[in-house]
Amino acid sequence: MIHIDNVSKQFVARTGGSLFKRGTPQTVYAVRGVTLHAPSGRITGLLGPNGAGKTTTLRMLGGLFQPDGGSITVDGIAVAQAPQQALARMGILGDAHGLYPRLSARENIVYFGRLQGMDADAAHARAQELSRLLDMDSILDRRAEGFSQGERMKTALARALVHDPANIVLDEPTNGLDVLATRALREVLRHLRSEAGGSKCIVFSTHIMQEVEQLCEHVVVVSQGRSVAEGTVPELLALAGETRFEDAFVKLAFPQSDTPIPAPEAACAQV
Amino acid sequence: MRTGLMKSFWIVFAKEVADALRDRRTLLRLLVPALLMGPLLLLALSGLIASLEARAEKREVMVVGMEHAPTLRNFLERQTYAIQSAPADYEARLRATTLLEPVLVIGEDFERELLAGERPTVAVVSDSANQRAGAGVPTLLRLLQGFNRERATLSLALRGVSTDLLQAVDVEERDLASTQARAARMTGIIPMFIIMAVLYGALTAALDSTAGERERGSLEPLLMNPLSHVALVLGKWGAVALLGMAVALLSNLSFVPAQWLIKSDSLQAMFQFGWFEVVTFLLLQLPLAAGLGAVLMALAIRSKTVKEAQAGSALVVTLVGLAPMVSLLNPGGDAAWYLWVPGLAQNTLMLLVLKGEALTWARVLPGVLVGAALTVGCLLYVARSMRAAVAR
Repeated sequence: MIHIDNVSKQFVARTGGSLFKRGTPQTVYAVRGVTLHAPSGRITGLLGPNGAGKTTTLRMLGGLFQPDGGSITVDGIAVAQAPQQALARMGILGDAHGLYPRLSARENIVYFGRLQGMDADAAHARAQELSRLLDMDSILDRRAEGFSQGERMKTALARALVHDPANIVLDEPTNGLDVLATRALREVLRHLRSEAGGSKCIVFSTHIMQEVEQLCEHVVVVSQGRSVAEGTVPELLALAGETRFEDAFVKLAFPQSDTPIPAPEAACAQV
Repeated sequence: MRTGLMKSFWIVFAKEVADALRDRRTLLRLLVPALLMGPLLLLALSGLIASLEARAEKREVMVVGMEHAPTLRNFLERQTYAIQSAPADYEARLRATTLLEPVLVIGEDFERELLAGERPTVAVVSDSANQRAGAGVPTLLRLLQGFNRERATLSLALRGVSTDLLQAVDVEERDLASTQARAARMTGIIPMFIIMAVLYGALTAALDSTAGERERGSLEPLLMNPLSHVALVLGKWGAVALLGMAVALLSNLSFVPAQWLIKSDSLQAMFQFGWFEVVTFLLLQLPLAAGLGAVLMALAIRSKTVKEAQAGSALVVTLVGLAPMVSLLNPGGDAAWYLWVPGLAQNTLMLLVLKGEALTWARVLPGVLVGAALTVGCLLYVARSMRAAVAR
């Protein structure tokens, strides 16, 4: 169970400047009020265009930096106060999910299992189990340096799930995956959400509408750092008064544009 | 499930060491210079010394115009020197370093002027850029002085003057350096190579486990694990320091077989590099490997790529690597502050060991303190910067 309540975060960026003059600092409001409630046994989508603040929100969830305002709790544990306890209850597949190229997939997974406090035997057993679940037996003992995008993603996902966390957070996991790999991932997530898979709480961030339509029971739409709407897909369609989800999304995410002209990001997402 | 600090440390340490050891190509590339450079240079030096010794044993002088100076020839032959006539193009050959002996040039009127008491001039020709010819000059000059003295003594004796007048003071030479200390003049380059080895070993591991981890995008997931950043940094640093020490050990060991190949007998007799030296040298590197590993990590953690980190660490590597130069260029002028400078301190201490002098706590402690302070300061900085580094 993950509760993100009205979090905000601002950064200071620099303008270009020139050879002799430093750029002037400029405040960037990455997140200005995102709220998301994700209970167990449900896949909650975090849908928003590029630059909406999804990754920043999830990084705050992972305790990488403190939010300027608002609060985040995981199973009732405040991330700001007890980051280590909160992290132990989450499996996070973040924006950056690099592997160690000289270690095999199995060693990559076991290393993270050990860091999560598992003993060596338990971590190895779990790696074997995840390998079966994610269909990666053939690459399990290969070094990660030659992996394809899909194989890398599977290994990173297995690594995030090694300690069997109750809460799973995925930041744009289908980026760069082909249709088959995307489908396989969807199946795995549905299994994990089901009772047989442990009724996990899953937060799934993406900018691709089809993903959300096919997978998420509950969607939070984020735009320009704010959560602007939430509900099931039919509820969001009704809210926007549209029949196509894409039109509904554009209307909800960019309310200032009267006619739903697809924004560049949204147009890209169609492809 | 929280893991204890010690356990986390060992997990990270074991992974980092295994990871670094699998990078065979990089390991080989850093082992070749670390293992071969020192012994090769030592062999080359010993070859040079052996040839100098061989020349001293040969007792030969190279002369132009010996036929004009029968008296001098007689003197030289009485000193058991063989006389060789120099080639006609000796000047060109000295400049081109193909002739390795200085040449004595005698004028046509030598004998007549000598007998008339007109002080004939002879020239000793060498080229100061031609080091081996230059090394023969003092011997030749000494011979000529001997000749001068003999002539003067004879003249005075003929006139009934005591020859003691010529020598108002008796000079006696005493060399206080032990054999080891004399050899240390030659073997003084060894510490530099061992310090370089520590640098090479620690550098790649330090950059790979900080900037490399950021570049690969694996630092962010790593920090999403519930372990304290101090344990994480300590584990990484332990691996970095261990690799620095491992390369230093190999470099150290490479000098043991190298001494058997030394050509010069006298150098071989003087240069003792046994297990005592290996172990002492290694222990002396501990503060350097620890401090340097931490400094390199602290420099690299702010860099986004390994390339950027390499540029940042170039200054440290150059400074520490070249620190021994200070004492090489100023032999014998060791100052107290040497012992407080990383690199230079280790160099000074290793030179003391080579000279056979005792290491006292007063000499060792400054280096240890500096190493420990650098380690603690830099590691705290890295632990604090990690999260900020990922967030940027």
